Amino acid sequence: MVAEKEKGYENIIVTAATSLILTNKIIFISTTQFHIVPLSESALLFYYSPAIDIIINEKIMALHHKLASTSFPGFIESAPAYASLAVYYNPAFIKQYYPDTVTAFAFVQNIIESLARESDNLNFSQTKPITTIPIYYNGEDLEWVASTHQLTTTEVIQLHCGVVYHVFMNGFLPGFAYMGTVNEKIITARKDKPRLKVAAGSLGIAGAQTGIYPIDSPGGWQIIGTTPLQLFNKKKADPCLIKAGDQIQFFAIDKKEFDQLNEY
Amino acid sequence: MSIKILKPGICSTIQDLGRTGYRSIGVGPGGAMDFFAATTANYLAGNDEHQPVIEMHFPAASSCFTTPALICIAGANFDAHINEVPIEMYQPVFVEKNAVLSFKKNISGARVYLGVYKGMEAEKWLGSYSTHLKIAAGGFKGRLLQKDDIIAINAESHLLNRKKIRISPAVLKTLYNHQSPLRCIAGPQCFLLNAESQKNILQTAFTISNQSDRMGYRLSGNNCYLQTPVELISSPVTFGTVQLLPNGQLIILMADHQTTGGYPNIATIIAADLPRLAQLPVNSQLHFELVSLQHAEEMLLSTHQLLAEIKTGCENFYANH
Repeated sequence: MVAEKEKGYENIIVTAATSLILTNKIIFISTTQFHIVPLSESALLFYYSPAIDIIINEKIMALHHKLASTSFPGFIESAPAYASLAVYYNPAFIKQYYPDTVTAFAFVQNIIESLARESDNLNFSQTKPITTIPIYYNGEDLEWVASTHQLTTTEVIQLHCGVVYHVFMNGFLPGFAYMGTVNEKIITARKDKPRLKVAAGSLGIAGAQTGIYPIDSPGGWQIIGTTPLQLFNKKKADPCLIKAGDQIQFFAIDKKEFDQLNEY
Repeated sequence: MSIKILKPGICSTIQDLGRTGYRSIGVGPGGAMDFFAATTANYLAGNDEHQPVIEMHFPAASSCFTTPALICIAGANFDAHINEVPIEMYQPVFVEKNAVLSFKKNISGARVYLGVYKGMEAEKWLGSYSTHLKIAAGGFKGRLLQKDDIIAINAESHLLNRKKIRISPAVLKTLYNHQSPLRCIAGPQCFLLNAESQKNILQTAFTISNQSDRMGYRLSGNNCYLQTPVELISSPVTFGTVQLLPNGQLIILMADHQTTGGYPNIATIIAADLPRLAQLPVNSQLHFELVSLQHAEEMLLSTHQLLAEIKTGCENFYANH
């Protein structure tokens, strides 16, 4: 690892974390410089300067999809996050078929570097269909979020429904989607003390992010509503409803509609 | 043809080597904590590495075989008995109809594996038999084994093990030598630690706390500090990732880890040492040793090589039996 890379990574993390969460300004990184480091002896981490940034995330998704379609010898899978992509591979396979490579990591690093350079030239502004998700805005923290920002609960709901969200990544729990960014008027820090149990379907806000708990789980997000839809259905071949790269908009429903649509 | 659970034990599940291809939707690989023991339990029971096995902790499950069967016990030494008679580990054992398998004493290690000739019936979810407890899928009804569960096994076996095959104790002793440090490679954020903590991690001992499970080992030891506090955005992690928690303590992510994490990623335990880590019980001490990525790769390759040799040995044994 090069000291300069490390230094840059550290500095930008600090800026991104402080300015992003507090002001909800999307930071556009002028450089598209990427870094590749080992995550283990059978995985590497490809990353841009960490930020919650749709353009950076689209680059990550482009590389993720490109890997899925082109693959390489020994490739297992890749997993995208906000500004990083983990690429998992089988080092034994690579060393067996390419005995001249010093490390399997170097072999994969080369492939990822050239794929990333190619996908850097792709056009990311393709329009995607918007998926709409019904929400019964009855969350335990709705009143609190409203009063914190001197808003009415109706205003919070309108502001939350008024944005098309980009799905940055899945993680934390199977099917949990990190979406953003919420209107700056309703950016709310996580709860000081996480709940021991947040019910499946609960919609929450954490900083400028919004997301739905697919299963019962401990959690610290401010809960403002519930979806009747099942976010993660283990019986389906494709179990995950909201995936990284999707476009999502929420619309408010009442109790009666919730009960009619309830999949739980 | 089945195994009937008489007593369930504290955390008995069906596992295989884990599922791949679903990290991108937040589903981690899961699978056996100790891939070496799970794999050898299968090889020595006459299977390939993909058959489901039962992973047990202490106190472990007691079970009864409703049919003659060929089994192998590998991993932790919990003093395995068949019908109140001690049996050897890491070698095939023939059990008769109505035999009772039980584990008497927690002698060493943390989890034991039961492999059965031709495997057992288990639910495959997203390509793997591993039990996903949170989603309640895979393995046996997606849950821990309970009293009176009946797990069908795929074949009776009347093989008599007059001839023996076993894994050399010397090999196991090296692989599971609890005295030697856990080797790790530097993590993407190790440089965020202050100089003293970077030194501390490699020079002081850590203890596996009792808040440790299949998801992660929480360690207790000297607090580690960052040069400056940071809040990171979520990024992918893996089995063996060592994270620094906000309270200054370390956690090692284990088989049932989440796919992403937001804490600084300080180091990764090399895969060749994960079986040994998986067999370290709560309250044991451990040391870290920093190695190069190239060394980590070489160690993994030699572990693969060792498993390949064991596989060939077992295949020849069963072909000539």
